[in-house]
Amino acid sequence: MRFNHERSGDTLVVSASGRVDGSNASDFLDSLQGLFDPGDQRIILDLGGLEYISSAGLRVLLMAAQNLDKQQKSFSICSLTEAVGDVFRISGFDQIINVFPSVEDAKQG
Amino acid sequence: MSVARCQHATGAVEVKRSLRLSRSDEHGRFPDALPLIENLLTEMSEAGQWPMTLTMRANLILEELVLNTLTHGDTSGLTEVSIDLESESHSLAIRLADDGSPFNPLADAPEPDLALPLNERPIGGLGVYLVRTMGEELEYRRDGNRNHLKLVVRPES
Repeated sequence: MRFNHERSGDTLVVSASGRVDGSNASDFLDSLQGLFDPGDQRIILDLGGLEYISSAGLRVLLMAAQNLDKQQKSFSICSLTEAVGDVFRISGFDQIINVFPSVEDAKQG
Repeated sequence: MSVARCQHATGAVEVKRSLRLSRSDEHGRFPDALPLIENLLTEMSEAGQWPMTLTMRANLILEELVLNTLTHGDTSGLTEVSIDLESESHSLAIRLADDGSPFNPLADAPEPDLALPLNERPIGGLGVYLVRTMGEELEYRRDGNRNHLKLVVRPES
């Protein structure tokens, strides 16, 4: 997996690309949480470059979403590819996490 | 690994592949299954010109089931996991067999409650559910000391 991030004010946009499966899900969690700063109030995860996710990756996203929610921070995910959107729909993640078509939509949402 | 291809007049390509995982190194460990599965499916999807969602669904189903067999419960008696794949047009038939403890993915894993709000959703428990939802025509049988599972994957269901 590869990560990029961009911070503007209290908004952190993290872009993750590649694949997240049972072999790298724990690295995914560490990398993601390592990027969060206490001052970030709004976190947007751009998954536009994510080609594949399995239940191991969903576990990480759920942990991150629950942790941020407990800290009363805003968390959203955007730009899902068709394959990842398929997994989100079936697992009901699109009902419990805010999903937007693009980073711009997520910033406005 | 066996290979067979057949080009039909319609342009649909049938592709068959098999993968056998066994305790192959000097410590009696299984090889790293995920890259083997990914490579096999990449090759089949290119040969069969599969839509992306078929490749990803097949990959997810195999990851969930094979990792489950290799890592869950008592794996001391497990010596082999076999995967047989056969694609026809835009569907893929999967046959899995292993000699591990009895596990019926159709009955032995609880149904997750997808209506729970974010903070009440348990971490985990989605893998087998994804398999049951994405897979069609699922059939499980325990035959002697082996689990056998058959299913069909299509790009959309």
